Amino acid sequence: MKVLHQSQFFISYQCDKQRSFFIKFPHKTIKLGFCQLLAFRQQVKEIDLEAHFNGENSHGMEMLMLCNRQHFFVFNTVESIDLKEFITGTFAMLELNSLLTASV
Amino acid sequence: MKDLVRQKLSIHVDVMDLLNKQIEKEAHSSSAYLAMASWCDHNALSNSADFFYEQSAEEREHMMKIFKYINDNGGTAFSPEVGNVNHDFKSLEEIFETALDQEIAITKSIHNLVGKCRKLNDYTTEYFLQWFIQEQMEEEQTMRRALELFDLMGTDGLGLKLLDERIPQIRDKRPE
Repeated sequence: MKVLHQSQFFISYQCDKQRSFFIKFPHKTIKLGFCQLLAFRQQVKEIDLEAHFNGENSHGMEMLMLCNRQHFFVFNTVESIDLKEFITGTFAMLELNSLLTASV
Repeated sequence: MKDLVRQKLSIHVDVMDLLNKQIEKEAHSSSAYLAMASWCDHNALSNSADFFYEQSAEEREHMMKIFKYINDNGGTAFSPEVGNVNHDFKSLEEIFETALDQEIAITKSIHNLVGKCRKLNDYTTEYFLQWFIQEQMEEEQTMRRALELFDLMGTDGLGLKLLDERIPQIRDKRPE
């Protein structure tokens, strides 16, 4: 299993053997297929960070359900900010890997 | 490290995002035409109403074409939310003007997508979008023909009724 990207709270891995991705959250690690990773990315993209600061999201929490509702996560504002950076970084690494693979 | 993304997905992730945005636009367009059809129905312009009902169905077909394309190629298509649909119009002419503006916006969006495909060497999606380029050209032509009728016939007296009767023919001129 190879590390794709690491942020303050999260780490993403790629496992060639299982053709899957893994994400290490502070309290557990979950396995995701590519479609599930895409769905996760979409959910993170839809997080409105501005709402955490303008009073719309007064509790400052984000709730995400992943992998056909197998996992349920609650993130605070700091984790949500980190999550956005983490997803961007993970997909940037995946793209870099695609470019490298294509050029070989 | 294997390129798992390429194994699972035939299109570029950024292009997939833009295609999902395009789905939202087509869905909004379909709903906007439905609102126009409703206005026409309420104002006894039955031919124009039929035209916009058909137009709405076409936009939904476009949306579904993109939706299927994303999923068929390993991506994830997201069902769009539609909001801010305008139901208030001053006249039939305003409706057709709005429709033309809407088609121009969709054309621009498709062109932007093709540009992105070229930048990212996503030839598969560029090829897929060729059909949309042709379709948008025809859609714009149809709306322009409708607006030409307003210049030609006016909307005074019986003009509006006669114009409504001519609306079904603007589609018939489409090339096969």
